[in-house]
Amino acid sequence: MIPLALIEDALVYANLLLMLTVGFTLTYLIAKIPNFAHGEFAGIGVYITFTVAQVWKSNPYLAVPLAFIISAFSGALIYNGVLRTLKRFGGTMISLTISTLAMQIMISALLNIYADYLYPIAGAYSRLFLFRHLDFEFIGLPGVLIVSTIFLLTLITFLHLMLTRTRFGISLRAVVEDSSLASILGVNVELACTISWMLTAGIAGVAGSLLPLWFQGHPYTGSMLLTSVFAASILGGLSSIYGAMIGAYIIGLTEIFGTYLLAQTFGAQLTAYRSLIPLTILCIVLLIFPRGITGLIEDLQARRASKAMVKIRGEGS
Amino acid sequence: MMENISWLLDIVVFFAVYLIVTLALNLQYGYTGIPNFGLALSVATGAYTTGALAGRIGMWICGIRSDLDYIMYNPMITSMINSAIRYDPLKGLTIFFSTIIIVVIVSAIIGFIASYPAIRLRADYLMMVLIAMAEAARIIGLNYTPLVGGTTWVSVPNVFIWMGDMASQFLIITILAISILIFLFMQYLVSSPYGRLIKAVRENELTAECVGKDVVKVKIQIMMLGSAIAGIAGSLWSFYCGTVLAAAYTRTDWTFWPWLMAMIGGMGNNIGALVGVATVIICRRLIIYYKYSLEAYIPFSVVWLEQILLALALILVMMFRPQGIIPEKPAKPKIKKTSQQ
Repeated sequence: MIPLALIEDALVYANLLLMLTVGFTLTYLIAKIPNFAHGEFAGIGVYITFTVAQVWKSNPYLAVPLAFIISAFSGALIYNGVLRTLKRFGGTMISLTISTLAMQIMISALLNIYADYLYPIAGAYSRLFLFRHLDFEFIGLPGVLIVSTIFLLTLITFLHLMLTRTRFGISLRAVVEDSSLASILGVNVELACTISWMLTAGIAGVAGSLLPLWFQGHPYTGSMLLTSVFAASILGGLSSIYGAMIGAYIIGLTEIFGTYLLAQTFGAQLTAYRSLIPLTILCIVLLIFPRGITGLIEDLQARRASKAMVKIRGEGS
Repeated sequence: MMENISWLLDIVVFFAVYLIVTLALNLQYGYTGIPNFGLALSVATGAYTTGALAGRIGMWICGIRSDLDYIMYNPMITSMINSAIRYDPLKGLTIFFSTIIIVVIVSAIIGFIASYPAIRLRADYLMMVLIAMAEAARIIGLNYTPLVGGTTWVSVPNVFIWMGDMASQFLIITILAISILIFLFMQYLVSSPYGRLIKAVRENELTAECVGKDVVKVKIQIMMLGSAIAGIAGSLWSFYCGTVLAAAYTRTDWTFWPWLMAMIGGMGNNIGALVGVATVIICRRLIIYYKYSLEAYIPFSVVWLEQILLALALILVMMFRPQGIIPEKPAKPKIKKTSQQ
C-alpha cells in the first residue's frame, strides 16, 4: 500500500517538473540550444518565496505573481543581453550553450549572495528551508497541490490556445520551423524569442516559488532539478511541448515512486541515489528510442497512415 | 619569504593540475570537436579511484592487517602506511605509480563508457548527457561510502614522506614534471599524422569517412585518452591535497574552469591552453591572496565573486575574442624525405 503523503509528493513534484520541462523544451525549440540556466529561474522563484514568507511575513502565495514577473524579466535580460549579443558577434551553437552555462553559474552565485544577505535580516536559516506549515489545506489536500494543478491546467490550455489560435502563437511556430524564413514573411523573430523567453522563465519562476511549500528550498534547487528536466525533455522527444508534458509526468512519478520502491526493497540508504533514476531513464531513452515519446507517436501515425494507404490502394484495384 | 615560496608552490600545483585537465579538454574539443561537458566525470573518477585504492594498495604493500574497515579506520591506516614508508622509498613509489596506472585504466574505461553517447548524439544532446553523467559520478561518490567515505573524506598516504621535510616540494615537482610530460606528449600527438586525422574529424566527419578513416574509432580513442589524462589530474590533485572529498568534484571547479582556461588561451592549440591556464590560475590565486583586502570592498564572500567573474569572463571571451589569446595556426607538416614517394 502506497501512503497518501507519497502520492502527494509525487504529484506536486511532477507538476513542478512539468512546468519546468515545458519551458525548457519551448526554449530549446525556439533558440535551438539547451538552456542550462533554466533551473536557476526556479531558484529565483524559491528565494522570492523566502523573501515574501520569511522577511515580509506574508502569505507565500503572494510570491507567485512576483516570481513570475521577476523571472520573466531576468529571462528577457539573459536573452537580449547575452544570447542575442553573442549571436550578433557570430556565436556558434556551442558558444551559445556555454553562455547559458555561464549564466547558470552567475545566477547561482547571485542567489548564494542573496541567501547570505538575507540570513541576518530574516533571522532564519536561509539555505535549507521549508514552508509546509504556512500552506493551507483544502478537503484534506495540501494547498500547493491544488494550486499547482490549477496553474498547470490553465497553463496547458493557455499554451495550446496560444500556439494554435493566436497570431503570435502561429508566428512562434513559424520561428520554430525556420526562423530566417519566418523573418522574411514579416515575423518579428527577436520579439517572438524575447516573449517566449519571458514566458518560459516566468513559468519556471512560478514552479520555483511553489517549491518551498512542499520541498526544501536552497540556492542549488535549480541545478539539482536540471538533470530531471533534461531527462523529462529528452523522454518527451525535445520536439514538442506535449511530449514534454508526458515526459515530465513520467519522470516525476517514476522518480518519487521508484525511490520509494527501491528503498522498500533494498533498504533506506538507496533514497540518496534518487537523482540517478532520471539519468538512467535518460540513458535508456537515448539508447532505445532517441526521438522520445513524440518520435514513437509519429512512427505509429506514419505506420497507420501507410497501412491505410495500402488498404485504399487494395480497394481501388 | 617562506610565505612567498609556499604561495608560488601553490600556484605551481594549481597550474600543473589544471594544465593536464585543460589539455585533455583541448584534445577532446579543440582538436577533435567533442564538446565534453563531463570533464568533472573523468577528474572525479581519478580522484575517487585514488582515494579508494591508494590506501588499500598501501595496506597490501606494507602488510597491514586487512581486516580493518578501510573507511572507518582511515586516519589510523593512513598514518600506519606513512610510518611504514617513512624509510622505504621503494614502497612509497610503488604505491604512487601503481595507483596512477590503475587510475589511467579506470578513467579510460569511464571514457569508453562516455564515448558511447559521444559517437551517437548531436552536440546538444551530448552536453546534457555528459553533464548528467558527471553529476551522477558525484552523487555516487557522495553516497557510496566504501568508495571515498561519502560525505566525510578519506586521506591519501603521503607517498613521498621518505623525503622528510622536502616531501611536499618533491611531490609538487613530480606533479609539474608529469604535467610537462603530458604537454610534450600532446604536442607530439597533434603534430603527428594522428593529429591531422583528429582535426579532419573535427572539420568534417563525412569527408574523413569518405577518405576511409574510421571516425567512430577515432572518437572512442580520443574520449578514452582524454578521460585517462583528466583522471591523472584528479589523482595527482588528491595526492597533493592528501585527502579526497567527494563533494569537491563539482562541475564548476572541474568542468567550467578548464573550459574557461581553454577558451581564453585558444582552442585547438596546446600553447594556448598553457597560456590560458596560467592567466586564469594567476588571476584566481590573486583573488584568494587579496581576499581580505577585497572583502572590505565587496559585501559578500569571495567565493561567489570568483564564480561571477568566471561567468563574465567566459561570456566576454566568447563575444570579443572567440579564437582566444593565441589562435589556432594551420598545422605545419614536418617535411621529411620519405621513402614512400
